[in-house]
Amino acid sequence: MPTANVDDHEDVWVFVEEHDGDVASVSWELLAEARELAADLDEDLVALVIGEDVDDVAREAIQRGADRVLVVDDPVFEPYRADPYGEQFRYLVEEREPDVVLIGGTHTGRDFAGRVAVPAHAGLTADCTELGIDEDGHLEARRPAFGGNVLATIKCERHRPQMATVRAGVFEAAEPDPDRDGEIERVDVVVDEEDAVTSVLEREVGDTADITDADRIVAVGGGAEGDIEPAIELAEALDAELAASRKAVDEGWIGHDRQVGQTGKTVRPDLYVAVGVSGAVQHVEGMNDSEVVVAINSDPNAPIFEHADYGIVGDLFEVCPELTDLLEEADEPEEVIA
Amino acid sequence: MTAETAQDDMDGGRLSHDRTVSDPNYDGEFDAVVVGAGLAGSAAAITMARDGLDVIVLERGVSPGAKNVFGGVLYTPTIRELVDIDDAPLERYVGEKRFGMLSDDDETAVALRPGEWHEEPHNDSYTVLRGDFDEWFAEQAVEAGATLVTETTVTDLLRADDGTVVGVDTDRPDGELRASMVVLAEGGNSLVSEGADLKETPDRRDVAVAVKEVLEFPDNDDAIQDRFRLSGDAGASYHYFGDGAVGDAFGGAFIYTNDDTLSVGLAYRIEDAVSSQPKPERTLNRFKSHPAVAPLVRGGRTVEYTAKTIPEGGADAMPDLVHDGAVLVGDTAGLVLNNGVHLEGTNMAVESGYYAGQAVASAVENGRTDADALRSYSRSLNDSFVVQNLERYEWLMETATEDRDLMFRELPRAIADAGGEYFRIDREPKATHAENAKARLLRTVGGWRGAAKLAWRYRKVIS
Amino acid sequence: MTDPWTVVVGVKQVPDEDDVSIDPDTGTLDRADAAAILNRPDRNALEAALRLKDEVDARVIAMTMGPPMATPALETAVAMGCDDAVLVTDRAFGGSDTWPTSLALAETAEYLGADVVVCGEETTDSSTGQVPPGIAAHNDWAQLTYVEELDPLPDDEQLAARRDVEGGYERVVADLPVVVAVAYGENDPRPAGLHRKIYAETEFDPVELSADDLGIDEDTVGLAASPTQVGGMETVDPVARERERVETPSELVDELADAGEI
Repeated sequence: MPTANVDDHEDVWVFVEEHDGDVASVSWELLAEARELAADLDEDLVALVIGEDVDDVAREAIQRGADRVLVVDDPVFEPYRADPYGEQFRYLVEEREPDVVLIGGTHTGRDFAGRVAVPAHAGLTADCTELGIDEDGHLEARRPAFGGNVLATIKCERHRPQMATVRAGVFEAAEPDPDRDGEIERVDVVVDEEDAVTSVLEREVGDTADITDADRIVAVGGGAEGDIEPAIELAEALDAELAASRKAVDEGWIGHDRQVGQTGKTVRPDLYVAVGVSGAVQHVEGMNDSEVVVAINSDPNAPIFEHADYGIVGDLFEVCPELTDLLEEADEPEEVIA
Repeated sequence: MTAETAQDDMDGGRLSHDRTVSDPNYDGEFDAVVVGAGLAGSAAAITMARDGLDVIVLERGVSPGAKNVFGGVLYTPTIRELVDIDDAPLERYVGEKRFGMLSDDDETAVALRPGEWHEEPHNDSYTVLRGDFDEWFAEQAVEAGATLVTETTVTDLLRADDGTVVGVDTDRPDGELRASMVVLAEGGNSLVSEGADLKETPDRRDVAVAVKEVLEFPDNDDAIQDRFRLSGDAGASYHYFGDGAVGDAFGGAFIYTNDDTLSVGLAYRIEDAVSSQPKPERTLNRFKSHPAVAPLVRGGRTVEYTAKTIPEGGADAMPDLVHDGAVLVGDTAGLVLNNGVHLEGTNMAVESGYYAGQAVASAVENGRTDADALRSYSRSLNDSFVVQNLERYEWLMETATEDRDLMFRELPRAIADAGGEYFRIDREPKATHAENAKARLLRTVGGWRGAAKLAWRYRKVIS
Repeated sequence: MTDPWTVVVGVKQVPDEDDVSIDPDTGTLDRADAAAILNRPDRNALEAALRLKDEVDARVIAMTMGPPMATPALETAVAMGCDDAVLVTDRAFGGSDTWPTSLALAETAEYLGADVVVCGEETTDSSTGQVPPGIAAHNDWAQLTYVEELDPLPDDEQLAARRDVEGGYERVVADLPVVVAVAYGENDPRPAGLHRKIYAETEFDPVELSADDLGIDEDTVGLAASPTQVGGMETVDPVARERERVETPSELVDELADAGEI
């Protein structure tokens, strides 16, 4: 199998995902991390912006750390579709021969990353939690394996580019620096509406908060046995986002977009309250970076207690309402005696 | 029919549509449907399959034994006839049997450790873990040619207009299956047999509740060997009764040694569970904390906790075993012996499966499915140890129930007190102690006449 | 009258993640006792494919790449309602990462004349989610991932779908042939019918396809053709937690207030 001429490939690329001008937070998170990788490799950090009317995004990419931005601007790229994005990106990768390509592990990123990796015969490691450069200058992509108890290091030594996807919330974005300078280059558009094999009829994105952004989370699990009201009320009292374990999602009590864990989202809030969650390894993997973890479970042997800072053994249908009441009392303004 | 090469399966570039069956239907394809892949079910399946019948076993659990709960000792004389037991997953053989009477903090025990039990065939008594054993046993049925389908629950029987059982209905879509005979091996919770009016829902008095824990000792690898004085594959079976074991209820507790776990549990009549007893779990905890028992289970971590009901009715509570198109075996047929001294069910289950299997095979071979053609099953069972034992101890259970306060509470205490008195060390002469011990005992049983009456009443236990 | 659709469903047999435990002595994962089951997201894929068959004239064929012991996954697929199944098996495939795996499955999809390929969102053992887009890329076909609902449009030779996107959804139409990845847990997988289950587990045998049958050059698959390699494994230091047990909710509120969390 022909391998790439590794030395000819240069630069660290980060795909900046935007929809209708809104940039996905994971892109800035990746850019911040890639800044360090580029420094280690002594290469340029290039942001790749694909969309329609994306000049503002390109400028912000510079402010957020990119040395250069490649802009592909055309109506064919709005809204997002796998085939035009994949084809355009593949063309650029072949033309420009980047060393490393990083893509946010969102539904969009995971959708088209493969369309690039396959024709480029690139190595693609998905859902990385750590990135680094080894002494030979290869990308080390680390990801949890076997339920999260082992961290596997994946390398791609004889193929280029080295690609990785990273889920939202794993890295931290850098603040934009308005004084930063960089180069913005507009590149050729190589796809045509005629070639497209999909079309988007409708796209509705609401105000649903992304749980990966939340500072506080109340997650509900199998112990709720269908009744998630106590958890919802506790979340309201704490001004927290509601999330869930796989069990609660599988049972249909709550949507998949609120699922935390290996097959859900990774979150890192300041406060994570697990209500009726058993604490299976696959769930813990998605919230173990929380600052403070509280567990409420009726089973004293539930694994979640091993991963919590504070644990209450009790019936969530009693504990949650009590907690909610206490919190609401505390929130009430004190009586001022004039 | 398998193809020689992939090409044979192709038909103009696509997989040939004739390769697979679009609407498979197995009605009439099987001679017998066995409901439940437990010991009775698999024994019947093995017997019938070996006789050339097409047998299908429908098991509701994910694997055979997954839903089975029992104390822990398997009696294997008939199993040995059916399969090669050397290949079976057995835990330990029973090298010692111990009976203890417990009152509040006393224990009086008798232990038997015959040398003979420590040599093959080990008195045909082994501790097993049902998940492992049942799966292996069902596998023997599959090897004999039976079909095993799991995760499928039989919900009802199918009947012809004249009432003959002609198949089963299950919880799966398209779930009816017609076959010549149905062998009902559902276990103690025999909802299908009861729902189909093949047997009465057991009298409240005739069912016992049993709870059991499996304990492991992660911090002490030698706990079991040391505490029960075991070496090699030897194991022990400890039985307890009296109010220190199961409180006010009629029943007993047990501890069995497995390879590296202990099965600890108890069983007592369900009517006691409702009337005077605390919850079964609490009774079990109380038993485990009895001063004579606690050192045996100290440091044990519960890795499994289960509860079930056991039919205890004895010979009189047995339902009709044969019907047109169906037979009942195992716990479903009420074939359990539980009188505190003997706890048996598994050997009777296998025996009944074996005889039922033979009867069904012979009926099918003669083209018959009616109850009369199956009577050889009832006859064989009546002539076997199964029913004979049930009848023999039937009276014991009735009798002991009448005397229960005496048997389970007063007598254990009296024996303990008398024993304590007899062996008391102080400055009184031994004769005084002996006198006091005797008096204590006699007071409880009603003097010498009372003792004689009691001995006469219970003579059958050892004659 | 349009031609019946050929719908190919990709399935994988994986260790049951609920059975996998941590060896307390070594801290490593013990997969030995884990039963092999059908990857749970694939059940949703099978259900989606069978619903297509409920709506339009279609033939559903399950495919899996693996050793012969992967056959039970195919039996489950047929029991649920698939018309047929193929086992893509060859020593040459051993050690493949997602690149050669998606190549082999792409070739199989073509071999079978697929109009639609349906896969689960990801597998619970490797969870890269890269095989469905990989199949689409190898064949240069359309793709639809994170699909919640499918809507076949046979007269236009297209497949419409409702896709889950962060914070909402979109409705997309794709030209056939198309690769679909169904979002995990999006539908209720139907139970297998009794007679089909008996058939699948006793009489049914999948067609076995080798690299040769598929016209795949052995150099393009297997460990040597996999761009990614596992460089090392290290056990992760568990995050240090206080593990404090609190008796009452008011105690908890106090602790959290002290810690500055509320």
